[in-house]
Amino acid sequence: MNNTMTISKEKRRSRIITTLIYIFLVILAIIYIVPILWVVITSLKNDSTLMLSPWAMPEHIEWGNYAFAWTKGHLGTAMLNSFIVCSITLIVSMVFGSMAAFAIARLRWKLSKLAMYYFLIGMMIPIHTILIPLFVQFSQWHLSNTLTGIIVPYITFSLPITIYIMVGFFEGIPNELFESACIDGCSVYKMFTMVALPLAKTGFMVTGLMSFVANWNELLVAMVFISNDAKKTLPVSLTKFVGPYHTNYCQMFAAIMIAIIPTIIAYVAFANQIVEGLTAGAVKG
Amino acid sequence: MDKLMRNKKAIILFIAPALILFTAVLFIPVCKAVYYSLCNYKINYQPKYIGFKNYVMLFTKDKTMAIAFKNSIFFMIFSIVTQLIFGLILAALLTNIKKGRNLFKNIYYLPCVLSSAALGLLWMFVFMPRLGINQMMASLGWIEDCTMGPEWLFNTDGFIILPIWVISFVALWQYVGQSMMLYMAQISGISMDIYEASYIDGCSKKQSFFYITLPLIKPMVATAMSLNAIGSLKFFDLIYNMIPEGFLSHKADVIATHLYTQAFKFSKLGYGSAIGVILLILCLIMTVIINKFVKTESYDM
Repeated sequence: MNNTMTISKEKRRSRIITTLIYIFLVILAIIYIVPILWVVITSLKNDSTLMLSPWAMPEHIEWGNYAFAWTKGHLGTAMLNSFIVCSITLIVSMVFGSMAAFAIARLRWKLSKLAMYYFLIGMMIPIHTILIPLFVQFSQWHLSNTLTGIIVPYITFSLPITIYIMVGFFEGIPNELFESACIDGCSVYKMFTMVALPLAKTGFMVTGLMSFVANWNELLVAMVFISNDAKKTLPVSLTKFVGPYHTNYCQMFAAIMIAIIPTIIAYVAFANQIVEGLTAGAVKG
Repeated sequence: MDKLMRNKKAIILFIAPALILFTAVLFIPVCKAVYYSLCNYKINYQPKYIGFKNYVMLFTKDKTMAIAFKNSIFFMIFSIVTQLIFGLILAALLTNIKKGRNLFKNIYYLPCVLSSAALGLLWMFVFMPRLGINQMMASLGWIEDCTMGPEWLFNTDGFIILPIWVISFVALWQYVGQSMMLYMAQISGISMDIYEASYIDGCSKKQSFFYITLPLIKPMVATAMSLNAIGSLKFFDLIYNMIPEGFLSHKADVIATHLYTQAFKFSKLGYGSAIGVILLILCLIMTVIINKFVKTESYDM
């Protein structure tokens, strides 16, 4: 009798604790969602109703805000530029990174460990330190105000983490596979393309995600190197368009929405893969 | 096989592109930055060697640098401590619930993938005097009028000014998901056997968290802390977009924004390089310190 009572007491206690945990988690989730929701609602209003009833739903949906931000804020061009920059960076950094990773993980040479450390140190260097020398160098090479001028530093800063993660994946491939490929008469290049690359698909997903997300959101380098409206990337155009000196709030909210909608859509569609992929990368980093 | 893998031509071919790019775009510029930091260098002029004058100036005369340094260090400590605490709490709570774990996890992680430039602008509007929070407080009757509320982003009283606190919390909001995920990944790697054994020995859930989970995720604590430390020292986007330029006369500057203004607004390239070198040294020091003091031998799980 006594025993069953303590058990039910404990059960009730743990149920209360679980409820409290859920209440806490829900409140926190609201803090995460409400600001973004606020931007969505406001971006569909017009300025006069915003000041009168800021928390009400819009009476007439004003798609014009989006059209204005898209054209006048150069966000359309900016999104295209961001997409070009991130895609090229992604491809080149993966090709260069996986090649170097293969050399470090699988080929046999004395300095391979040293090369690895050399790339790893790169992870600790903040981009701010090299901003000024790069700026000087690139304006001498006529690379300022070109997309190439930001793609090159982006690739370089994506390389260390790409190499680090890919080395892990290449080292995990059993040696027997390479040996049998060797017996079948594979050259070292064929081993890379036919054996190593297909077996490291997860690695490509992880590193690709990390580099794409980081470069899509990068502001400082793009802002320093590009002043031409036609070449700006999304974060730069947004930063220049939105500001306290601009008076129409609803249009600025629409601009913020345009900037984050692609990421949110991708996130909602692939949330689990994205979260897992980015964490896997960070865990190894 | 061995001969094949020692093929010199292949090795060079594979490593060269990354190595050349890395050296040309990262290491040579770092060396150049160190050289420029010892020069008087303005845009369109040749750099002129002046020794350590830039550094002396930075540490003795430059009042904004003192503020920026103070703010950056505050950011770093704040984000290391709060991310550790909240990241661990969230990870512990989420691993203990069954329903909706993925949903909550994904919601908390969302801001990590969004652009901090856009989020900075978003939060600037939330903390504007006549919009957002103040308007909400007015409609709830907590304050008489929007304009009577706290000046979240414009109050410059105190040692650590209010805008810096606000931005610190926004940064926590944005990046705590990262720490949470790192800890969750590590916790899910701990074998259930250990917990079961501890429950048989009469451990409560609380005890098992402090005596099993915490010690076993210590290596990850080091990783997450170094990521936070370096990330918060490099802090630029949020602050640049939340505090409109010139609004607080540089009272809310951090090292990164100070570098940006000095080098690219006032064209003092040599001086800016000196700030960059200091930032680099700070990042290296923090990584070494954290890894030395937090990282212990990893356990076999």
